[in-house]
Amino acid sequence: MKITISQRLIIMPKEEDTRSKLSPRDRQVLKEISDGFTDPGKIAEKLKIKEVSVISSAEGLAEMGLISLDKGVEEVCALTEEGARYAEIGLPERRILEIAGVEGVPLSEIKDPALKVGIGWLKKKGWATVEAGRITPKGDALPGKDEEILEALLFQGETSGSALDEEALKLLKSRGLVESRSEKSWSFEITDAGRSALKMAEDSSRSSSAVFDYVAQITPDMIKNGVWEGKYVDYKGTRYEVRPYDVTLPAERIYPGKVHPYQRLLTRMREIMLEMGFTEIKGEIVQSSFWNFDALFQPQDHPAREMQDTFYLDSRAEIPDYASVKEMHERGGDVGSTGWGGNWDPEVARRKVLRTHTTSVTIKYLADHPNPPVKAFSIDRVYRREAIDPTHTPEFEQLEGVIMDDGLSFANLLGVLKGFYAKMGFDEVRFRPGYFPYTEPSVEPEVYIEGLGWVELGGAGVFRREVTAPFGIERPVLAWGLGVGRLAMLRLGLKDLRLLYQSDLGWLRDMPLSTRM
Amino acid sequence: MPVVRLYYEDLEEMVGASRDLFMARIAMMGADIGKSDEEDYVDVEFFPDRPDLYSSEGVARALQGFLDIKVGLPEYHVHPGEIALKVDPSVEGVRPLIGCAVVRDLEFSDPAIESLMDLQEDLHWGLGRNRRKVAIGVHDISRVVPPFTYFAADPSFKFVPLDFDESLSMAEILKRHPKGIGYATILEGFDRYPLIVDAKGDVLSFPPIINGELTRVRDDTRDLFIDVTGTDPVVYKALNIVVTALAERGGRIESVRVERAEGDLTLPDLSAAIWNVRVDDANALIGFDLSAEEVAACLERMRFGAKVRGGPGADELEVSVPPYRADIMHSWDIFEDAAKGYGYDNLTATLPGTVTVGEPHPIEVRKADLRDVMVGLGYLETMPFTLTSEMVNFERMRRRSRDLEVTRVLHPISELHTMVRTSILPSLLEIIAINQHHPLPQSIFAVGDVLEGGRTRQDLAAASIHSSADFAEIRSAVEALFGELAIEVEIRSSEDGAFLEGRRGDLMVGGERVGSFGEFHPQVLQSFGLDMPAVGLELRWDRLWPAGRSRL
Repeated sequence: MKITISQRLIIMPKEEDTRSKLSPRDRQVLKEISDGFTDPGKIAEKLKIKEVSVISSAEGLAEMGLISLDKGVEEVCALTEEGARYAEIGLPERRILEIAGVEGVPLSEIKDPALKVGIGWLKKKGWATVEAGRITPKGDALPGKDEEILEALLFQGETSGSALDEEALKLLKSRGLVESRSEKSWSFEITDAGRSALKMAEDSSRSSSAVFDYVAQITPDMIKNGVWEGKYVDYKGTRYEVRPYDVTLPAERIYPGKVHPYQRLLTRMREIMLEMGFTEIKGEIVQSSFWNFDALFQPQDHPAREMQDTFYLDSRAEIPDYASVKEMHERGGDVGSTGWGGNWDPEVARRKVLRTHTTSVTIKYLADHPNPPVKAFSIDRVYRREAIDPTHTPEFEQLEGVIMDDGLSFANLLGVLKGFYAKMGFDEVRFRPGYFPYTEPSVEPEVYIEGLGWVELGGAGVFRREVTAPFGIERPVLAWGLGVGRLAMLRLGLKDLRLLYQSDLGWLRDMPLSTRM
Repeated sequence: MPVVRLYYEDLEEMVGASRDLFMARIAMMGADIGKSDEEDYVDVEFFPDRPDLYSSEGVARALQGFLDIKVGLPEYHVHPGEIALKVDPSVEGVRPLIGCAVVRDLEFSDPAIESLMDLQEDLHWGLGRNRRKVAIGVHDISRVVPPFTYFAADPSFKFVPLDFDESLSMAEILKRHPKGIGYATILEGFDRYPLIVDAKGDVLSFPPIINGELTRVRDDTRDLFIDVTGTDPVVYKALNIVVTALAERGGRIESVRVERAEGDLTLPDLSAAIWNVRVDDANALIGFDLSAEEVAACLERMRFGAKVRGGPGADELEVSVPPYRADIMHSWDIFEDAAKGYGYDNLTATLPGTVTVGEPHPIEVRKADLRDVMVGLGYLETMPFTLTSEMVNFERMRRRSRDLEVTRVLHPISELHTMVRTSILPSLLEIIAINQHHPLPQSIFAVGDVLEGGRTRQDLAAASIHSSADFAEIRSAVEALFGELAIEVEIRSSEDGAFLEGRRGDLMVGGERVGSFGEFHPQVLQSFGLDMPAVGLELRWDRLWPAGRSRL
């Protein structure tokens, strides 16, 4: 039989005898084993291929009976720190014996606790009697197998456990003087069948009348024109077998493109808000102090407005007509508030900041939409002047939702919070009094998390009249927000917030897409 | 937030309840309980709007109400005193306001002294804006001779400040004393400094910096003189908080006559402020349905005085606000306390009936599309910081900074975060740089905010690195991307320094440049510490579609 090899048809030699079912790689590996290489690492190095390829080849060869393959777990032994010391200065029982000499020694003279441990061993090994408070040597006390091992390990370093006396090794390990770890080991040896197969393969590759009837890669033409029967195909007048693979072998890893796990959490939260009927809003990163602070009735000398907490920019913003806000800060407007007193300065309100909360966007939206009902939310990045550490970053995501309508109450806010957290998967929620400068009443929701207990997650409240009145908002506004990073840490089991932003690609690749957010 | 250390034994005695009882309820009064492994105390954080809770005495007083041990307005009797303090007009432009009081017959235990010192410090922080607005001095009155004088002295005036054994001038104190160094900025620009002296000219205090050593409070101190100075009427509130806390310890309050050009004051003024509030308003805001008597009971539990005005079914309450409360600005502040008195845990959480149809923001909808395309192309999403530096954003990218477009922050936390990014690609290269130990190819992308001339814009950036990354690869990605977005793009040769000459393109949509792509210039790769070929693209996409809330 003879066919022409087309470029796209890769065909292997085949004979009745399985021994010739050798791919070029199998043959190379077999050759190396025949040359006396017994472990896959060395062969891989020599052939400049991956070790895993050598192992897969060898496994095939072993199946065909061409090599014998010893796949085992080898125990590698080494001295512990204590073991190494004893290997140098001798075991405690040996040292006591040296002290005791021929006459023996009173027990009371063995004071060193490091030596005392040897007394029991003296008795066990039958090297001495301990009677009436005196150690009396007996017999020759020849060096034991355990001492031989200590010495061997001291000079050879790591040694295979199989080369050492089993009993003595067990004893040393129980005394904590020797430790061991397992290493996978492979050992190949060519069989007689292997030798003849190798010879045959070498002969056949030299021979010009090679027999080709083994197909590695199926071609389009083969599919179109071949007549198939199981794994056999009659093609262009010849019968071929499609070469079977070892399907259990691992493949090279590929990494699919994925959405960031944190983004999936953000997306889930957006979905929840949309499901609850909220409209998504967005705004500028750069805000005037007016919208970021003053509109929210934060006094101009409030500590949160200081340089060390807020990123200020070196420029001034346009601000809207501020008369009503100024009046509210200074005298409390006409809603029955005392105001903050003092003098409200529009220049301070014009200072630009990187928004410190999404509430700056919310209040602007409410000012533009003062009529009920309004249900709005945003999830966006906010900025605080914090040094970076595992639990603080200078920028992070905040979720915020507001509802404005006739007749809303604080109890309604608690209802919305319960609904929201239940949708987030937190069935147990409790409410503690809280404090935020622009809400009254204020509340800190806590959720129950197995293993952690009650965890504070976000803040909420009813916008103060001092906040809403200057913008003509006459209905109650229920508002709540939370830092999403904290939730992400809980959900993703993160200890370090920075991983979300300065991501380790290994972490991203390994985080399963099916992780529920 | 201020942390108050509560010694269980001390507090049990003051409250008249067991630690188990008050620890179970204290959080519902408005507090964050710290973790404490200690046997004999616990650290509790209180909110910045309640400086009256910055002392264990204040906490005990509130707990007594909250636990129904002693409810209603606390009564403090101010005994008429003989002591006067004269305010010299010279303090007018420097530190005009002063409030004083005398508290006698005190017996200081260790927890009591600790509590008083902590209260002072927390008030300096919470109400005092680091002593600028309010500063408090506490003195052993037996060491000095009234009447006292508050005036602005020449900085060369000398006395022995607290913790020193030598006389220093006030100017020297600002330079040498730790407190002087710490608070000198408050007195910057003044040529005379505030000072309180006694009849003999001995110094009690150099507010807001330091007391004199002479009036140091010792174990055996029984009678205190308290001065609170500042720039805002809140000084009188701070005085009330300190004085009532000491009264809770059994002190006897005596008034001081503060003689001023604009009229004398007799301080402390511990009268309650009266607020008339409507029960309907409270019910509407909180969402409970209580009678006037029930709301009054809730308020009394929070140590307000509350009287129902009118007969049965009356809707109005006359509420007396304790003189130490600094947070009552509006009737809602009182209603919140009614809710706390009722117990947040007793409120019925009910969903509001507001029905609306939600709508996603078009930007987020587009972002989701972009993620779909990039993920489909095998790119992994990242979410880098938006704060960056000009070094990374421009220099390493071989791009020139155009000043008008850059948003720099005034006081960066580090030189790595001096501005908000104008481009996302540099951050992607940074992420790739820290991930070179992971297998290649690495293909990553990010969508998100950038700032251009202070305005928030939207970018998509992607980068891919491996030994055979080339122009064809990124060009294919660009084609696929624009194909999926159904946007016609024209590709022109580019001048973008980030990419290699002859292997870079500009993305033109409707005649406008909206981005660029290509093979990264090897100098760019070198500057990020990369030694593999890499390609990238960046697209400013927010104006590719007509603005507005289109059906998407």
